[in-house]
Amino acid sequence: MTSLLEIQDLNVSFRNYGIVSNVLKDVALKIPEGGRVALIGETGSGKSVTSKAILGTLPENAVVEGGSIRFDGEDVLTLSRGKREAMKGTAFSVIMQDPLSSFNPVFRIGRHLDDVLRFSDRRLHERSDAADRRRRIEQVLRQVQLSDPARVFNAYPSQLSGGMRQRVLIALALLHQPRLLIADEPGTALDVTTQDEIMKLINRLVSDNGLSLLMITHNLGVVRKMADDIFVMRHGEIVENGPLTTLFKTPQQAYTRQLINAIPPLYGPGVEDQPAVDADPIISLANVSKTFEDRGIFRRGSSHRAVDNVSLTVARGEIFGLAGESGSGKTTVARMIMGLIRPSSGAISVDGGAVGGDGQGSDYRRLIQIVYQNPGTSLNPKRTVGQTLSVPLRFAGLDARRTEERIQELLAHVELAPHYVSKYPHELSGGQKQRVAIARALAADPKIIVLDEPTSALDVSVQKNVIDLLQRLRDELGLTFLFISHDLSLMRNFCSRIAIMLRGELVESGEPRSVFADPRHPYTRALIAAVPVMSDEEDRLKPRTSIEEQRRYLADTVA
Amino acid sequence: MSVASGNEPAVLSARYMAWYRFSRNPSAVIGGLMVLSVILVAILAPLIAPYPEDVGAAVDFRNRHRAPDFAHWMGTDKVGRDILTRVIFGFRVSLLLVIGVLGVAVPVGAALGMLAGYFSGLTEKIITGFTNVMLAIPPLIMALAIGNVLEPNLVNAMLAITLLWWTWHARLIYRVSKSIATEDFVEAARLAGASHWHVLTREILPNCVSVISVKTTLDAAFVILFGATLSFLGLGVKPPTPDLGSMVADGRQFLPEMWWGVLGPGFAIFYATLGFNLLGDGLRDMFDVEV
Repeated sequence: MTSLLEIQDLNVSFRNYGIVSNVLKDVALKIPEGGRVALIGETGSGKSVTSKAILGTLPENAVVEGGSIRFDGEDVLTLSRGKREAMKGTAFSVIMQDPLSSFNPVFRIGRHLDDVLRFSDRRLHERSDAADRRRRIEQVLRQVQLSDPARVFNAYPSQLSGGMRQRVLIALALLHQPRLLIADEPGTALDVTTQDEIMKLINRLVSDNGLSLLMITHNLGVVRKMADDIFVMRHGEIVENGPLTTLFKTPQQAYTRQLINAIPPLYGPGVEDQPAVDADPIISLANVSKTFEDRGIFRRGSSHRAVDNVSLTVARGEIFGLAGESGSGKTTVARMIMGLIRPSSGAISVDGGAVGGDGQGSDYRRLIQIVYQNPGTSLNPKRTVGQTLSVPLRFAGLDARRTEERIQELLAHVELAPHYVSKYPHELSGGQKQRVAIARALAADPKIIVLDEPTSALDVSVQKNVIDLLQRLRDELGLTFLFISHDLSLMRNFCSRIAIMLRGELVESGEPRSVFADPRHPYTRALIAAVPVMSDEEDRLKPRTSIEEQRRYLADTVA
Repeated sequence: MSVASGNEPAVLSARYMAWYRFSRNPSAVIGGLMVLSVILVAILAPLIAPYPEDVGAAVDFRNRHRAPDFAHWMGTDKVGRDILTRVIFGFRVSLLLVIGVLGVAVPVGAALGMLAGYFSGLTEKIITGFTNVMLAIPPLIMALAIGNVLEPNLVNAMLAITLLWWTWHARLIYRVSKSIATEDFVEAARLAGASHWHVLTREILPNCVSVISVKTTLDAAFVILFGATLSFLGLGVKPPTPDLGSMVADGRQFLPEMWWGVLGPGFAIFYATLGFNLLGDGLRDMFDVEV
């Protein structure tokens, strides 16, 4: 089989602040004609740098130290700048990662597509008029299953859903019939169900048009559906490569095994059941609704019902999972329980006291704390770990010496060495930052901790460590967790009870074992069916859904 | 250059990264040296000025309007005083003005801006409304008004500039702190029981410091320029105290024959202003902030 793209001994280094760091070390990679190849690895492993080296879009401080990138037998690194430019979009093109920030909001979708087409036509010295380009654009939009191309063409980016924008981004990559499609984490910014559709679409486009695909991702479940050959990267090196089935079944390297084992299984023998908790309720919500009013001065205000008539109870010592896609109202529920916003109607009580009434002072804060999704923004960049942790302690009335002791105790709880006290957030990795955020939540000695997608910004192996830590803390300190997430396979293993939300309503709740074995609500079925899993057995055990059912409940991505 | 060892990317301290960016920026380094030289000259004025007695109301009619030569590098003025000496002492007045104006305007503006950015609702409306009203007053008119009502001197010039200068800081810090106030770490601190005072001074202020220092440095140049404008119009320092603006005004009467009367002080204003501007730009690159 001939290779369309062949990378040999590629070495790339970056120069930052007078320090040279080797980012790619002897990377070798082959993509056969018509093949689907995945490059997997964690943050900072060099997978995106590899794709940028192929595309010729490396940042200015990067230097290619050696090696070759052969596309169709020709080394692109030795080509002239003009020829290299001409290859972009025609020989290979890239599907952008983030559908929400890749468009300029003031231009219509059609303008974005037309610009790309016009400039690449000019590069290829082809003449084209507006009508001809419009025809070609609508054809491509139809190819990515946007059923009303004319409407999409004239729409502004903000008028399309995330899934639709992702489709437009794919159309953008397909405009000039490239031979190699590079997909850098497509759909990771989207909900699972939308991501599932996007994956199917890319797969269909690749097989219909005979394209080759280079897939860059950290999600191994996605890889299983979208690649034949896999290259595993770590610290700028390819540690292992091979066909999908052999690599997943019999990984040779410890690192690959660690990556695969870090994925929580959805079904099968590896699934952990959390013991059901039989205790008195610590949180209870009765018919809680929340309507956000947007009162205008000159126009009539609009209102949006974010949470609709939700009732639930969380027992003491439980890990209660609240699942749902973006916009389902799960974060609003959590913020109401935290006392940060008041419900429009209904009653919430936490540990016997009503929330939203008086007595919302320091006592309440000692009862319930939160760990945020993004540790990058939940820690003040200008304050050291010690300073951050001292805030809750100082305001709880501890003296300096006691504060010092308690900080060390907290660091020990989250398995960080004592010298981390003096470190600033930018000196810590994502996982370490999240540990600090957990330590801060523990500082006030709360009974309940709200975990707002605490691991979604972390790599899988780090996620596993953080989850293990949380589990240990619950057992040792007798905490109750309210776990908000969209990651169903994680919730299956971590939660002792889960509830699923759809558009502000609670559609189903129960123990994970029964919910996953026999989901009642069609939305739950569709949601579980969309989760990318690691093996065929798990795929077989997933609930079946019909197309109509999916259409009824899933986000409107097709226009 | 050193090569990062091992597989872990080297962790650089923020201070090192900032210094690296600053030191690789030629205009910033030059600006910094210029500002440093202005400050040193102002401090050491009595030691380095060639004719210290010319600072006051000295008169030497034999030497009036002498062109620059080796005895008087910048020439002499209409009563025979050495212009270089008076320029050197003129820097003192300019820097005094900068310290006086910014020493009051920056803390006041930053404090009001932070309050408006952090507390939404009525506090925000009152502060931003008042700031906007003050911004609508043309600074020169304000200075003329104060100069006419009160006695025109250095303190009143400072007062006039300060009364309007804080608004720019209030506006800038309002914008910055409003976006910081929505960050998770502010909510986390509040949930941890922190007081408003703690949040303002320990969580938000440290994140404003880089913006404030860049803005303040750039402002120093404008204050020098504005102070010179005021004394050029006769609203600033009383003679015979040497002031760059009034020296330009004095020299202007004898243009174009006696060009040196304007050139020396004019160049001094240009030098100090450029120095602060280059330094401010350098600091902006170093902190990577928008002002």
